[in-house]
Amino acid sequence: MLTVEGLTKKFGARRVLAEVSFTIGAGEVLGLIGPNGAGKTTVLECLAGLLPTNSGAFNYNGSPLSARHRKEALFYVPDGILPWAQQTVKWVLTFFERLYAQAPEKLAALAGPLRLEEIKGSRIATLSKGERKRVLLALGLLTSHPLLLLDEPFDGLDLRQTRDVMPLLRSESATGRTLFVSIHQLNDAAKVCDRLVLLNAGERVAEGTLAELQKQARLTDGGLEEIFLALT
Amino acid sequence: MRSPSFLRLLSKEFRELLASRAFWLLLLFVGFLVGHSFTTAVALYAEMSGTGGPAALPQGLTSLDGVLVPTWGAYDLAATLLFPFVAIRMVSAEKESGALKLLLQLPGTLGSKLAAKGLVLLFAWLVAWLPGIVAIFLWRSYGGHTYTPETLNLLLGHLLRGLLSGGLGVAAAAIAEGAASAAIITLAFTVGTWALDFVAAGRGGLVQQLASYTPTAALRSFEQGLLRFSVVVVIVILSCAAFVLAGIWLNIGQTIKIRLLTTLALLIVTFGAVVAGANLRASRDLSENHRNSFSTVDETALRSINQPLKITIFLSPEDPRLTDFEQNVLKKLRRSLDKLDVEYAASSRTGLFNSEEHYGEIWYELGGQKIVERSTIEEVVLDQIYTLSSVAVPDRSGDEGYPGYPLAAQPKHAAAIFYFFWPLLVIATWWLSRRF
Repeated sequence: MLTVEGLTKKFGARRVLAEVSFTIGAGEVLGLIGPNGAGKTTVLECLAGLLPTNSGAFNYNGSPLSARHRKEALFYVPDGILPWAQQTVKWVLTFFERLYAQAPEKLAALAGPLRLEEIKGSRIATLSKGERKRVLLALGLLTSHPLLLLDEPFDGLDLRQTRDVMPLLRSESATGRTLFVSIHQLNDAAKVCDRLVLLNAGERVAEGTLAELQKQARLTDGGLEEIFLALT
Repeated sequence: MRSPSFLRLLSKEFRELLASRAFWLLLLFVGFLVGHSFTTAVALYAEMSGTGGPAALPQGLTSLDGVLVPTWGAYDLAATLLFPFVAIRMVSAEKESGALKLLLQLPGTLGSKLAAKGLVLLFAWLVAWLPGIVAIFLWRSYGGHTYTPETLNLLLGHLLRGLLSGGLGVAAAAIAEGAASAAIITLAFTVGTWALDFVAAGRGGLVQQLASYTPTAALRSFEQGLLRFSVVVVIVILSCAAFVLAGIWLNIGQTIKIRLLTTLALLIVTFGAVVAGANLRASRDLSENHRNSFSTVDETALRSINQPLKITIFLSPEDPRLTDFEQNVLKKLRRSLDKLDVEYAASSRTGLFNSEEHYGEIWYELGGQKIVERSTIEEVVLDQIYTLSSVAVPDRSGDEGYPGYPLAAQPKHAAAIFYFFWPLLVIATWWLSRRF
């Protein structure tokens, strides 16, 4: 679906991404994992066209990803933002629902797992970190782009909320939508992602399914944490 | 522009405006400012009209100068010190909260998103006009006279003033990291234009021409009942350029280098468009007393002069005679003569203790002949020009004078409306808006 080739990004003299290449397959949940400062958010923002790149190519379904195609192809939900802080949750959700001409059932289906009913009358500015994250996830899921980029979708969520959100993301993927998620909690990544891209210090260290990563790390057993420690 | 997504964006911007404290504070303070200006102006007008002392000549009493311009002067202050913050907030809030990253991905071009912001800002500025409109109706209710063309012209001037302020605020917010820096940029620009006004006074040439498009100077011509198409075109160009500049700097996916180069290209294009716009000579004198025009017979006589007239003025910028000459003669001559060259030859700024040989003289040169004159009186100057050009002095006896509209009225109910009901209305509307 989307291939990233030789993505390099510098902030001044500091190189934060070095020739990063990977592929996102149609309909899969691809996880971008790595420690803090690995460059995960930078990859997502470069892909979304919100940061200029120094070099690299994005190909979408075999063609170069132009600015116009990007807007139709993908939507990126950043982490830690506080959009339209003085508006109510209900208004912001309805704004996205109408903007993307979604059927009311779509928002209704999100309301349960994301527990939106209890916060819909609150202003965005008054929400806790976890509540904001749930609203941001809902906004992303209300868009209609084939590829959805989510930055740290579980950050700020408690265990129960995380367990509610995971099936939601899987069911979204089951509808044919592709998800590219950056996650720093490795256990969560292993549960929700079909494949993983491991990023460390701005370099792509490995890419593949859990089994393929185990092979690359020369481990016969062990979870993503062991793989991560072995490869970085 | 009329697509459903544009309407949704418009509704979002409208809600953001209602959520902006800067907007409500603008509404609150503008009521006080207009109220104070209006009550002071009406009381002064009554005094000049003959209550409790000698009356001024009725011909000198115009509602435009006496009431409308001072009352609406509150909007000049609001456009300088309050409205830019409403515009800055429209952009800075989204930049600082990260909402810009979502906004840029929403359907529609960045241009349509800025257009939505611009339209909502225009709405905000027009809503802020309510106290000023109420003041005009109050003045009419006291028996005050207004002349519709000059009143509408004044409102057009304030509309353009608001458009420029809004554009400037949006551009500053797009370029600066935060709202505070944007406010500094906006205020620096305003102070810069004041400095330009001061420096350009009595200088002539490019500097004076440039200074005639500063917000204050541009508004001044509307306050005089003069509609200069060049001013309208230049202010619209500058306002649009400010929104385009905002678009360049909000396009965060572009490198700084590309944004700088695009900015440079925009500056070049804007400069060219402004120069072209500034060359438009068309203007309309919409004042009831035709203060920007000579009498009809003089206008006709002047139009028959085809040779270029050169005027050399040996008066310093701060000499009141130069101000008189500019206001009473030069402003009208520039509108009447196609070929007029004015040179400001005095070297000092104040003219005090001036020992220049020709100081105080005004030279008129036409067709190789020269006349030296010291008077700044309209009729005297015109007669000299007619002498130089061998045009017969027209008979001015048939011209009807402006009657003037003295009115000794007190600003009844104004204090209650502007200091009590208006703030109450603003606070109540703000409170209601919070519930939706």
